[in-house]
Amino acid sequence: MGLFDAIDVAGTGLSAERLRMDVTAGNLANAQTTQGANGQPYRRREVVLQEAQADGQSFGAMLDTAVAGGSSSSPANGVQVAGIVEDQTPPRRVYDPGHPDADAQGYVSLPNVNPVTEMVDLISASRSYEANVTSMQTAKTLFSKTLELLR
Amino acid sequence: MSLFDSTQISLEAAMRGSSLRQTLLASNLANVNTPGYQRKDVDFHAALREAQQTGQSLETLSFSPTTDTSRTVRADGSGVDADQESAALAENALEYEALVQVAGARTNILQTAMGVR
Repeated sequence: MGLFDAIDVAGTGLSAERLRMDVTAGNLANAQTTQGANGQPYRRREVVLQEAQADGQSFGAMLDTAVAGGSSSSPANGVQVAGIVEDQTPPRRVYDPGHPDADAQGYVSLPNVNPVTEMVDLISASRSYEANVTSMQTAKTLFSKTLELLR
Repeated sequence: MSLFDSTQISLEAAMRGSSLRQTLLASNLANVNTPGYQRKDVDFHAALREAQQTGQSLETLSFSPTTDTSRTVRADGSGVDADQESAALAENALEYEALVQVAGARTNILQTAMGVR
């Protein structure tokens, strides 16, 4: 519904990028975790995004459909999270015989987390978040300018 | 003679087109990290020009968004260049603001003629 759509779309972008930052932070925090939930070393997680599809359940969508007398679809629905997947690359093997989780040869399996990759992902997510904030602010400004027409 | 002339109705139609474009550009920016996403846009200037030339009613003119399948700018198949989208968003916002200003000035003239203020 007009400029509210733009604000909603930017909102989906904000939550998607926020989740990317959360998952990246989780990867960095678990960079040395040798005992994950299943007793195996922690595996790096990654957020998979996809284009959001209209569910037609929001108030605006239902109103538009009722007014149009048939189906009415929003031109854009933003982004949604398709899932959080585990990176299947093998764990890092480090020789450390003193470590309690070392195997018979003295090697420890550490998570497949590369701090450099995570930092780059973090910057990318943070920049994208800012871009969505700007787009939301712009839509908000435009909307209030339109309201000024009524004065 | 109707209260609003064709210029005013054109301005209103252009504002509708511009606000649709704002939504589509916001969607492109939200999907900047979506693999395989193809950018959406709407050329409301062309639709408006065509409607004016063919004498089609501007009040019921609707704009249809297009999906750009031709370009891929990233290795994951995404067609969104964040910088270009931001620039287009800023440009479209300025255009919308200009439309609102002109439409507002014109209604103010009408109000003055009516002796409202």
